[in-house]
Amino acid sequence: MLLKTWTQAVLLSTCVLLIACAKPSKISAPSEAALVAFPPEFGEPLYKGGDMPLSSASIALGRKLFYDPILSRDSSISCGSCHSQVHAFADHGVALSYGVEGRKGTRNAPALSNLAWHSSFMNDGGINHLEVLPLAPINADFEMDEEIGNVLEKLKGQPAYMNLFSEAFNQQEINSKSLFVALAHFQMSLVSNHSKYDKVIRGETQFTDIESQGNKVFMQQCSSCHTPPLFSDFSFANNGLKLQYSDAGRALITGLAEDSALFKVPSLRNVALSYPYMHNGSISSLSEVIDHYTSGVTAHRNLDDRMQGVSVKPEDKEALLAFLKTLSDYEFVSNPKHSEP
Amino acid sequence: MNKHNFFVGLFAMALCFLVSCTKNEVVEPASQAVGSFTLEMEYVWGEMGQTQPFALNQTLVHPSTQDSLTFNTFKHYLSAVVLQNTDGSEYIVPNSFYLLDLSNPSSLKITLEDVPAGDYQSIHMVFGVDSLHNVSGAQEGALDPANGMFWSWNSGYIMLKAEGQSPNAEDGSFAFHLGGFKGENKVVEEKHLSFRNGELLSITPIANPTVHLMLNPAQLFANQGSLSNGSRVHMPGAKAKQMASPFNDWAHVDHIHP
Repeated sequence: MLLKTWTQAVLLSTCVLLIACAKPSKISAPSEAALVAFPPEFGEPLYKGGDMPLSSASIALGRKLFYDPILSRDSSISCGSCHSQVHAFADHGVALSYGVEGRKGTRNAPALSNLAWHSSFMNDGGINHLEVLPLAPINADFEMDEEIGNVLEKLKGQPAYMNLFSEAFNQQEINSKSLFVALAHFQMSLVSNHSKYDKVIRGETQFTDIESQGNKVFMQQCSSCHTPPLFSDFSFANNGLKLQYSDAGRALITGLAEDSALFKVPSLRNVALSYPYMHNGSISSLSEVIDHYTSGVTAHRNLDDRMQGVSVKPEDKEALLAFLKTLSDYEFVSNPKHSEP
Repeated sequence: MNKHNFFVGLFAMALCFLVSCTKNEVVEPASQAVGSFTLEMEYVWGEMGQTQPFALNQTLVHPSTQDSLTFNTFKHYLSAVVLQNTDGSEYIVPNSFYLLDLSNPSSLKITLEDVPAGDYQSIHMVFGVDSLHNVSGAQEGALDPANGMFWSWNSGYIMLKAEGQSPNAEDGSFAFHLGGFKGENKVVEEKHLSFRNGELLSITPIANPTVHLMLNPAQLFANQGSLSNGSRVHMPGAKAKQMASPFNDWAHVDHIHP
């Protein structure tokens, strides 16, 4: 009898201890794990929610902000305007996106997924942390053309936002940190790991013969840059689109001549859904992308060494395309949790 | 639940509260006396020994380039303040990030409270924002990106921002946004500032001494020369370093008011 009650006491105390000591940003409790998936095969995420508590309320707030044109100067465009869920959060098939007053951008809006594992953001890698990413599109004159202080004032004028910020972070005040963290929490929740590829890796299904052949070609020809399971090694590379680039790419950030015309290796997750391709959206189909790597690469002075010898035989092209389509995650692009609220 | 079970449960909860909450408690040393002091910035213009007061919206002639400059913005960061005690110990001022903005005079006097009483012989600080806080995501207070001192497209703080008008600049205006927290061109600099003539900063519960820190925007042009050589810097690099270094080098503690 006594032993039993002591056992109960120890169990109870362990229980209370776990609750009392749980760090707000740690994602270990089952209820929190359900908020954001952290597939173990992706490794340790670089971003886990920062130092403010991750919750369904913080993600919901970030989602509302992501789709709200209030972030732009004239309330004409939202993040979702150029990052559309049906295109895996790339733009709607356009090469260069349009900002306020129809101002044209200079680079292709990238697809968004699994951002918690990215070591830098933007084609030039200029952004070093998910939380400070929104500053760039908000400030850029050809995107939202707005000052963060004005965004905060506009948000403070809406009682609905005052309530949402209060629910998410238990703060009576809206400040830039809570705005950025909420957006980061929503963006980190955009985890794509339900493609056919993922299901094959988890042993839930199998590749068809042609997909399997394409997987082998991919591993030989493409994976040194587009490394599974995130399908990028997040390095910067020149892939020989042309001899002269108007965009200095990575060199805009580092100031180094050897970084000129280098761009961040994009993840190929949902690649079939996020056309057109390349940093400037200059190639419209995957078939043409394969042609480029096989026979169209120009000898730019900063051409990446890994580009040497990349070649897809004609008889392998259909197989490679079939494999790339297994990276499409239809659960991700139709998940109501990610859609415009 | 019988009475025995109830008490065991109560004991368990008490135990776990003790165990789980000790980490959050700060063990206070027995009644350490504390005091305060003020760090006051004084901006001058010129060469050492031949300076005039520096102010915004006032035309100033640079002593070596002879350029005429009218500044309308001058802001910069100081951070990570540490005081060196004569007994060899150090006091690290917690969470010390300061945005000094000449358009906001109250930002130029920083009062530091709860400093352990004692005699301090020097002060150590970072000119700019230390590298860690340039890579840690969204920050608040002095480091809030809404202060306009964070580059949106190339993450990192603008450590010093100086803007204004000058007939010597190509288009009549100048804008220097100096930053960079890594690599050979980083402008973030650790400075060890000794007090002159053996002066000591004496912290007691009853006084509030003032340390006068001298800063000289004219030094930005010590190496870069006239604005005709360039009137814009908007990214980290050699140009930013060339301007920030002499400004940082010149800074010194002039005197302490007891």
